[in-house]
Amino acid sequence: MKSHEYDKIFSKFTGVEGDLIPLLIQIQERDGYISPEAIRRVARFLKISENQIYGVATFYPKFRFEEPGKKTIKVCMGTACHVRGGKFLAEAVGWHFGISIGQKTPDNRLDFQRATCLGCCTLGPVVQIDEKIHPRMMVTQLMQMLREHE
Amino acid sequence: MREKDATVTVIIDNQSYRVPRGYTILQAAERFDIYIPTLCSHKDLSPFGGCRLCIVEVEGMRNFPTACTTPVEEGMIIRTHTAQVQSVRKEILQLFLSEHTSSCLICDEREECKRYLGTIRKAGVTTGCRYCPKDGQCELQEVVEKLGIQEIEYPIYYRNLRVEKEDPFYDRDYNLCILCGRCVRMCQEVRLANVLAFKQRGRNTIVGPAYARTHLESGCEFCGACVSVCPTGTLYEKARKWEGVAQLEQVTTCSFCGVGCQISLQIKADRVIGGLPAEDPLVNNGQLCVKGRFCIPELVNGPWRLRHPFKKFNGLEVDISWEDAITLAAEQLSRCAPDEFGLLISSNCTTEDLYIAQKFARVAMGSNQVDSPARLFYGPALNAYLALLEKSVPLAEVREAPAILCVGLDTRYGRSVVGVELRRAMHRGARVITIHPREHNLALTAHAWIQPPPGGEGEILQFFARFTAGEESASPPETNLSSETLRQLARELKQASGVVILVGSEVLHYSASPQILAVLHRLAENLGAGVLPLPAQNNFVGSLLMGTYPELLPGGFSSANEKRLKELEKVWQTEFRPLTNGWNSGNLSAGKPLKVLYLIGEALPSGEPPAEFLIFQNIYPPDSPIRPDLTLPAAAFTEADGTFVNGEGRVQRVHRAVNPPGEALPDWEILCRIARKMGVRGFDFSDVREIHREIAALVDGFQDFDQPPRQARSLTIEGKFQIAASGSFEAKPDGKKYPYLLNAAPLEHVYRGFPLSSRVEGARVIFADEVLHMNPRDARRARLQEGDPVEVTSQYFRKVWPVKFSPELNRGIVQVTVLQNELIGLNPIPVIIRKSHV
Ligand code: SF4
Ligand code: SF4
Ligand code: SF4
Ligand code: SF4
Ligand code: FES
Ligand code: FES
Repeated sequence: MKSHEYDKIFSKFTGVEGDLIPLLIQIQERDGYISPEAIRRVARFLKISENQIYGVATFYPKFRFEEPGKKTIKVCMGTACHVRGGKFLAEAVGWHFGISIGQKTPDNRLDFQRATCLGCCTLGPVVQIDEKIHPRMMVTQLMQMLREHE
Repeated sequence: MREKDATVTVIIDNQSYRVPRGYTILQAAERFDIYIPTLCSHKDLSPFGGCRLCIVEVEGMRNFPTACTTPVEEGMIIRTHTAQVQSVRKEILQLFLSEHTSSCLICDEREECKRYLGTIRKAGVTTGCRYCPKDGQCELQEVVEKLGIQEIEYPIYYRNLRVEKEDPFYDRDYNLCILCGRCVRMCQEVRLANVLAFKQRGRNTIVGPAYARTHLESGCEFCGACVSVCPTGTLYEKARKWEGVAQLEQVTTCSFCGVGCQISLQIKADRVIGGLPAEDPLVNNGQLCVKGRFCIPELVNGPWRLRHPFKKFNGLEVDISWEDAITLAAEQLSRCAPDEFGLLISSNCTTEDLYIAQKFARVAMGSNQVDSPARLFYGPALNAYLALLEKSVPLAEVREAPAILCVGLDTRYGRSVVGVELRRAMHRGARVITIHPREHNLALTAHAWIQPPPGGEGEILQFFARFTAGEESASPPETNLSSETLRQLARELKQASGVVILVGSEVLHYSASPQILAVLHRLAENLGAGVLPLPAQNNFVGSLLMGTYPELLPGGFSSANEKRLKELEKVWQTEFRPLTNGWNSGNLSAGKPLKVLYLIGEALPSGEPPAEFLIFQNIYPPDSPIRPDLTLPAAAFTEADGTFVNGEGRVQRVHRAVNPPGEALPDWEILCRIARKMGVRGFDFSDVREIHREIAALVDGFQDFDQPPRQARSLTIEGKFQIAASGSFEAKPDGKKYPYLLNAAPLEHVYRGFPLSSRVEGARVIFADEVLHMNPRDARRARLQEGDPVEVTSQYFRKVWPVKFSPELNRGIVQVTVLQNELIGLNPIPVIIRKSHV
């Protein structure tokens, strides 16, 4: 984010400690994650230490501190999908790219996440690539798809 | 409120007690010596309720409330040790232990092993399997013992975290952490430094600064407050590992700066093994900075401490007896005319040492050639600084002031005690304005940080002074803040009553400092503000009062004051008219060549030996290649009695906590023995108390040696320092040719001429001396890597220093602190920077 974009976000707040969480949410919405630079700027804006901000932010699982990969693949690990073999799908992705859940490929292209129920249990096991839901996924099919995406 | 309402009656374990209303159950129990196990509560911290070990049974309350967070109520019936409470406590403790290393806790051989080291077969004898440095002083051990836990029924979960040893002064092994949060609360609530926080959640919770940053990178002040409260071995002082529990404590005054904190020295087997803040509301209020907290043991226990007198003999150094040493010194001194003798004494020495030193020069040698090289630290700004000392107010005023202005003050390492006061002031709503060219530790939280270029502080102060004198149309200088903001700040200062101005060391070393301090003085007058000059030397004020300067007599009188000279003659029962000729520590060769130069607690001047015969009296041999003719071992401040006078003018005691190493003696005693050997009267002191009594007859405020009243008092100094014309280089170098601005300052973390960084491992890390600090972007543009030697050239000099990246510095500015206070010329000075290829 550029300097003036931060200023734009900050202009909506008064600079009190209670602004912290809403501010971080807006930054994450904008950037997809909370960068060290973002923490530095928020610290100056709110006049609290970066350490404090990081401590508070890491308490909430929704905040990310690494730039996400360009594409996101979410394998559903909800109960329904799990019993239908979601775990194998996740393993397959992991093997294929040499990363585990929560990581991204070194070239920054793919972000590997898990989901706990994507709300379409009857279609399980489900995989979501970016916004698109892929129902009734099988390992071979998924590998095929991933190769296409590469 | 009526007397009765101020207390409530509670029943604890079937006994009725009256306790003050508002107490927690834990406080009530502690008051009557009823044991309740605790781990997370601490008297200096807010209740946390995290460990749940302190649960008790309270009739009518569901579950078991935690005693440390539950306030007492009238008629409460509390049971602290029912079988049920105990068994829940044990469960909780076992859960802690399932994540904790426990060989020191539940080994079958525990008891035997403590007594006979019976099980140590394959382990080192020093550590055995009881490897934790906290062994024997651990609160977790204590609680486990009190609750009688012998085994752990839960599956063991070891986090296997890396031990963090990368920071100076203390190590961190979070495998031992029980997440009691004491360190976090200490750092956040008491120190208000906010370095430590809980990170992540659930099983992954860990304490530390943002990301995986080191403490060094995160603004930590290394005050050690977190280490002091950690109940386990997680946080442990590097230099004190395996020293175990102290046997004795002695409260004394810190000798590393003019704040004059009260320190409780930790003593074991006649050695100082640590320093903790003393509970003393007057000055430091239970806080210390890194120097007082961590630097004492390594400094005073160093292996190279001088233990015996020795002399140079045929190019060798040979040990001699004290008797011979005194005779040799007396012989050499007896052949000096008054102007062939010079004595330099450190203002780190006690007031009594200083007094005897100047008396020695004046009475035994008939000479005024006695000086404290502290004058070089203040340089041309010395007289202006004295004027500020005359306006000084106690530090406590910071606690009340509605607005505080800090100039050239960085409280990260030195004077962090003052930093804590400032942050507290910000919390209670005081306006804190800081003027500093560099990003420093007040910058983030202060209400305003005005950032001038180095040396530009004067223009801002000038603007404030004019504005507050009624010239509201004065135009503010260009800085990082808008003119409107600066006007607003000036208005705020003008409207506030009871403003305090703090003066740090980083505004003292510019060529323009005399003028800057004079403007500051004027501003203070306009505002009716109190000033707090924070002298870097612990006994600088003492040295002024004792008159260890050619220009000053005891009591701060000018050495040209006939009346005072007469009084002194009467007390000293001698006749003397010492001559004054412009000699001082910055100008040792003014006047006749010296026959003897006597250095007490001072480093050797660089270059050629400045006298025929050098006497060097200190705690370590000199760092310089010059060998003194006679070396005398002196006691450190932990080994001698006396007093220091802090920057506020408080006379405070220093205590002999341990014996000096070998045959080392206090400075005053050595001087007195030499004087007696020379047959001079007036040096028959058998202890410090007698010297103090003589001082009391001459100088106010020294009546009671054993219990000095410790009152803050501003100075009255009649004498003025002779200052050599500054800015001997007149030409203004041109900015295009010399694109960088170098700001050079003498370092201030010195004890008796030795930089702490030369004797204390951790100090070397935090105080990067003789290193060129540079903005990383500038450095990269100049194709420099961290550590590269760079050549710094001005119109007047060329020097080589290694480069260090400092993002706090603005671009175009480079900074260095130098050991030897040599003349760099104008400061700040434009320079060229080039990679050096030597
Ligand atoms: S912290 Fe305490 S209980 Fe834990 S290993 Fe060290 S001494 Fe033992
Ligand atoms: S040493 Fe002081 S500043 Fe550093 S983490 Fe501990 S309490 Fe905080
Ligand atoms: S490091 Fe020590 S004080 Fe801090 S939470 Fe862990 S056990 Fe408690
Ligand atoms: S602030 Fe000064 S007196 Fe206090 S501990 Fe630090 S160096 Fe010593
Ligand atoms: S469990 Fe996968 S969509 Fe609900
Ligand atoms: S001491 Fe009360 S909860 Fe820890």
